[in-house]
Amino acid sequence: MFVLPPPPRYPGGGYGGPGPVIETSNTIARPTEDSTDHLVVGEGTYLLRDDIHLATPPPHPSEAPVHNPNPLATTIGAPTAGTKLSLVVLSPTHSANTRLYRLDTANSTPSQLPQSIQESPHETTSQGSDAGSHSAAYSTRGGPDAHTFGEGNPSLALANGKEGKDKRRKPKNNIVKSNSSFVSRVIPHDSLNKRIGEHDPNGIYAFANVNRALQWLDLTSEKKEDQLAKVLFTKAHALCHDVNAVTKSINHLDVVIGFSTGDIIWYEPMSQKYARINKTASKNGSINLTPVTDIHWLPNSENLFLAAHADGSLVVYDKEKEDAEFVPENPTDPPPSNNPQNGKLQILKSVHSRTQKTNPVSYWKTSSSRINAISFSPDNRHLAVVSEDGSFRIIDYLSEKLLHLSYSFYGGLLCVCWSPDGRFVVTGGQDDLVCIWSFDAGECGLVARCQGHNSWVSAVQFDKWRCDGRSYRFGSVGEDCRLLFWDFSVGMLHRPRAASVRHRNSVASTLPLPRRVPGNADSSSRLRSNSNLTNANAEEEDAVVHGVEPKARTPFLPPVLAKKVDDHPLSWLAFTEDGIMTACNGGK
Amino acid sequence: MTSFFGRFKPGTSPASPATNAVQPVKRDPNAPQPTPLEKLLGDAGPIRPDGSDKFFGYENFGSTCYCNSIIQSLYYSVPFREQVINFPCRSPPEALERPPTAPTDPLKINTDVPANGANSALSPKGRNSMSSPNAASPRKSTTTPGGLIPPPPMQKPEDNKDSPEYKKKQALAAGPVLAMDYENSKAYGMSESLFTCLKDIFEAVIAHKSRMGVVSPNKFLEILRRENEMFRTPMHQDAHEFLNLLLNEVVDNVEKFSKQRITEGGEETSALANGTSLPASNNTGWVHELFEGTLTSETRCLTCENTSQRDEAFLDLSVDLEQHSSVTSCLRKFSEEEMLCERNKFHCDNCGGLQEAEKRMKIKRLPRILALHLKRFKYTEDLQRLQKLFHRVVYPYYLRLFNTTDDAEDPDRLYELYAVVVHIGGGPYHGHYVSIIKTQDRGWLLFDDEMVEPVDKAYVRNFFGGEGVLACAYVLFYQETTLEAMQKEMEAEGLAAAQQASTTMNEEGIPQPVKSNANGVGVNGHVPGTPSLDLEEFVNLNHAHTAPPVPVSEHAPLESTLTSLPGLSSKKSRTNLGALGRKEKEKKKEEKERKAAEKEAEKMKKQKRKEAEQRLKEEAKRADDELRKALEASRQSAAMDEERRKATAATATTTTAESTPPHSHPHTAPADPLEKVKEKEKENTTFGMGSLSRFRHSSMSLRGKPKFWAKDKDKSEDKEGNTDAASTSRTETEDEKTEEGRKNKSEKNRFSLGRKKSTFRL
Repeated sequence: MFVLPPPPRYPGGGYGGPGPVIETSNTIARPTEDSTDHLVVGEGTYLLRDDIHLATPPPHPSEAPVHNPNPLATTIGAPTAGTKLSLVVLSPTHSANTRLYRLDTANSTPSQLPQSIQESPHETTSQGSDAGSHSAAYSTRGGPDAHTFGEGNPSLALANGKEGKDKRRKPKNNIVKSNSSFVSRVIPHDSLNKRIGEHDPNGIYAFANVNRALQWLDLTSEKKEDQLAKVLFTKAHALCHDVNAVTKSINHLDVVIGFSTGDIIWYEPMSQKYARINKTASKNGSINLTPVTDIHWLPNSENLFLAAHADGSLVVYDKEKEDAEFVPENPTDPPPSNNPQNGKLQILKSVHSRTQKTNPVSYWKTSSSRINAISFSPDNRHLAVVSEDGSFRIIDYLSEKLLHLSYSFYGGLLCVCWSPDGRFVVTGGQDDLVCIWSFDAGECGLVARCQGHNSWVSAVQFDKWRCDGRSYRFGSVGEDCRLLFWDFSVGMLHRPRAASVRHRNSVASTLPLPRRVPGNADSSSRLRSNSNLTNANAEEEDAVVHGVEPKARTPFLPPVLAKKVDDHPLSWLAFTEDGIMTACNGGK
Repeated sequence: MTSFFGRFKPGTSPASPATNAVQPVKRDPNAPQPTPLEKLLGDAGPIRPDGSDKFFGYENFGSTCYCNSIIQSLYYSVPFREQVINFPCRSPPEALERPPTAPTDPLKINTDVPANGANSALSPKGRNSMSSPNAASPRKSTTTPGGLIPPPPMQKPEDNKDSPEYKKKQALAAGPVLAMDYENSKAYGMSESLFTCLKDIFEAVIAHKSRMGVVSPNKFLEILRRENEMFRTPMHQDAHEFLNLLLNEVVDNVEKFSKQRITEGGEETSALANGTSLPASNNTGWVHELFEGTLTSETRCLTCENTSQRDEAFLDLSVDLEQHSSVTSCLRKFSEEEMLCERNKFHCDNCGGLQEAEKRMKIKRLPRILALHLKRFKYTEDLQRLQKLFHRVVYPYYLRLFNTTDDAEDPDRLYELYAVVVHIGGGPYHGHYVSIIKTQDRGWLLFDDEMVEPVDKAYVRNFFGGEGVLACAYVLFYQETTLEAMQKEMEAEGLAAAQQASTTMNEEGIPQPVKSNANGVGVNGHVPGTPSLDLEEFVNLNHAHTAPPVPVSEHAPLESTLTSLPGLSSKKSRTNLGALGRKEKEKKKEEKERKAAEKEAEKMKKQKRKEAEQRLKEEAKRADDELRKALEASRQSAAMDEERRKATAATATTTTAESTPPHSHPHTAPADPLEKVKEKEKENTTFGMGSLSRFRHSSMSLRGKPKFWAKDKDKSEDKEGNTDAASTSRTETEDEKTEEGRKNKSEKNRFSLGRKKSTFRL
């Protein structure tokens, strides 16, 4: 279940230690029968299945491994991020919502699910059918009103229209034969095509960025530890990547990778082609020079993806357009330094702009601090953004408006995830808390803080197979190496305040659950936050800015399960239908 | 002496007015490259009188890095520094001379007490006059004559230029070196102690003309070693133990001094009753105000279910560590329930005898500066000695506490990390300490003995620890802040980072519009800003009430905004401290009276803030000295104001002053000077700040904060013991306040007197 990072870099205790351990191939470990690595939750027991070590790439030869014995060396390393994976199932349907609400009943054969803690088999079948009913319910909700980004803008529509339906366009350059200085080396599997051919369409491909490498794994294969391809980059570290859910097919995958240098690569692994976007070393000038901290394809879009940059910018790029030096289109906007608090979304280039010949398609600025994660809502209308200054924003990206802005208890927020039905958002951050926010008809309020992690929370994820309209399950992992499960139900989140205060000190007490109609509950929480605004800009109409809730007034929620799953800080988490996958920092 | 050094090494004293950033400095081609710190300070304006722009390294006399790192951390705590230099009173520059040249005037500390006029004559070329651009003051520098001629900067080719050793050597060679081998305790009217030595160092650093240099804390160490056997060996010492000892010593010294004064000088203090007093000397509890919090340990006897509570004060918190945890969780663990059983049973008064019990400790009163000691040195039984824990413990830049009691005041206080003391080494018996400190407006700096170097904010996160990572955080200093200040800072940092990115691209030859300096973005991710801006931020820090707003705190920042004049801040914050406890209570009371007026005032304030911001923006391009002149002008007017008021003081001062809502003041004050700039520009700036500093406190209280004025009186009266006579002339409300103040004070005294080693160890 774990994708492990390399062993600690400094095995000895020597002064400074030797350089990083160089690994060239991934290894896999399967636990023995009497392993203690299992989790017991209500729905069954999760067992540790596989434990894959992804090789950490050695530093590029051009960068001589600078061994600095001075621990105080003030040189700042490039920003790095923990290993992140994305899973792709090439399921037969291509509807826009498949990926979010997919029904992978075929996967319930336990043996097909590798690398994961797995439920005991007898549970699996029932879960499978459950999942089916849930997803059916969701898709009726989200299906028809799918808007597309930038609709109504003829110049953009034109560009989109060019896309041939039958044939997916591939990037121009062959990555294997490339002599770009950006890409260092590509190691495709010897029999790549054969393996692709053998791949079960319901199986899972995984992409993982580890330091300066991107690995492509087939998790359904027997030899899942052998990567299908590995791309090594010269200097840049891949910080994030995403696979396009719309365009994926048996012979096509669109992957965008964001780098610490600010570069973005559009990579098509099947044909090993790539294209560069936002080339930071280019002479034409680039769009944004700060690291790409998170990247996502716009829902329902074949070409457009959104990159979050470390300076607080959100930029929509078109994978097929050329870059051009970016000049803000409406320079009348005051620089954000003058209004740090109102948090208004600055639109430096609107999607409705007339000039759409080149990238960026649109360019927004949330604030000046680093965006740590972004997440699209399941109904494809909203975007949740969390950043290093602890702010949490919900943006209606279709109309380019900020709907909500509030703050963490303290410290930066690191991760964000929507509930499968889009009614709740959870965030995790440097205050060791997971926060649950309700989001209903544009109104957002803090419903509970979840205390249980012993360190920063690095990833949160809903388990969509165990969420219905009433109760929700989500998991979180953190720097404390632990995986925590949380269950909450709509009723319990809106306990009277007094009860919650009492509850605060006794984590073990049972939760009294006075039922309330969810709709009303939301309004109460909204009132609550309004009542203690610290902010001078309350009167601003389009963006609701919220202060920080005092801890005495917010319910605290204990985890239902906490398990130390690794020896290294964890950085990523995903639920599959009958398993959980976690990943930890692949090299600091 | 300093000017000599300036000539000797032109690059090292950018502080001297001639080498201001306006004209590029002509550099000796042979002179070494400017250090990163010099580059950072290249665009600095005139030196400020509060010491916030001094970046001195400290000489290491062999394993004294524990001392250096802690002193640095304390120096850059704004309130602590202010308190040290202002207690018992800020010494006039003459007093900073080395003892032979400065015959200590026994009356010195009292000179400024009765007559302001006399004193203002005294200090036209006071320390503050150094900030005026053309003060090529002949004043003797505080550097010692002997051993000061720095060895010519030899560049051994074999020396790696990037090695800290090389940099330290360079720093020492570059000087100026402040040899603190003298002490001025008599000038302060105190007996020689660690506190006076600390004050000597702070004062000397602040008074010195250079922005950079090296301090040799000889005397300080001498006294430290004389009085504490533990630190006598040249061995590696524990920085946390030293911090604790130093804080306790300071408390003791200060208290001893004021007790002495109370017994000595009834008459002296009676002169203070006219309201122009210096109250800081009465306020002995400032270390407590800053560092002390209260822990409540609740013990519940499992036999009789009786809960007993006991309060204990702490100056810092020592928390146990766990692998892969965060400071937050360590603090939570600290307050987790603990079973008292077996050999460790609890003696229950209720049922008598040893019983099993549950004990938990929570924080009842939150300190303004939270010093967190991460217990990295742990005794291991099997090895029979201390071992260093290399656990990875992450610490956020901002922090709130979870483990507060339900009745704690401002339980959601927001803290910001401002200093990290890092221990480098494999074990507790050897190694090195450095500190990484966030300075007011120069971002994060690394202080490694003699060397001072700017670092990136992300650098602070390099010391979480982890297996095989030798350098890890050992003591963390968090200071209170506000959500607004935090957001502002974040924004500024982000901007600076963006700008830096674009400038690096510029260097690589890609044409890009250079942003003007109007943003005032510094090199190091910080906004140098105008002095008034900075101080506004910092003043906010004096008011603990952070984000999740307690209604009571609503107007705290309003009161404080008045102090956005740089020169005023020092005196001001002293006042704040002195009256902090009191003020809290007052606020509750005033709250009722004000509620009606508050909304309107809030609006006004908002508007004014906008206006002020606008104005500040416009002014941002002006040179700093211009601004300073303006501010001085305002101070002059303040002084005039004060004199005018004093004339009427006997009659109805307090009542009239009180009737003006303090809200209306804050922004008129900073606005005034700016408007007057043009007229006043020509005015003689040698009307020294030093002299004005005598007024500062009192004029402040009269103009903006009548309460303080009243209270100061109270305080001195308290001392005299004849409060009755004085208070009869006052209004009722004031009387109440007086009483409260007294109560508060007596509490405080009792508290601080009763305690010596107040660190709480678990």
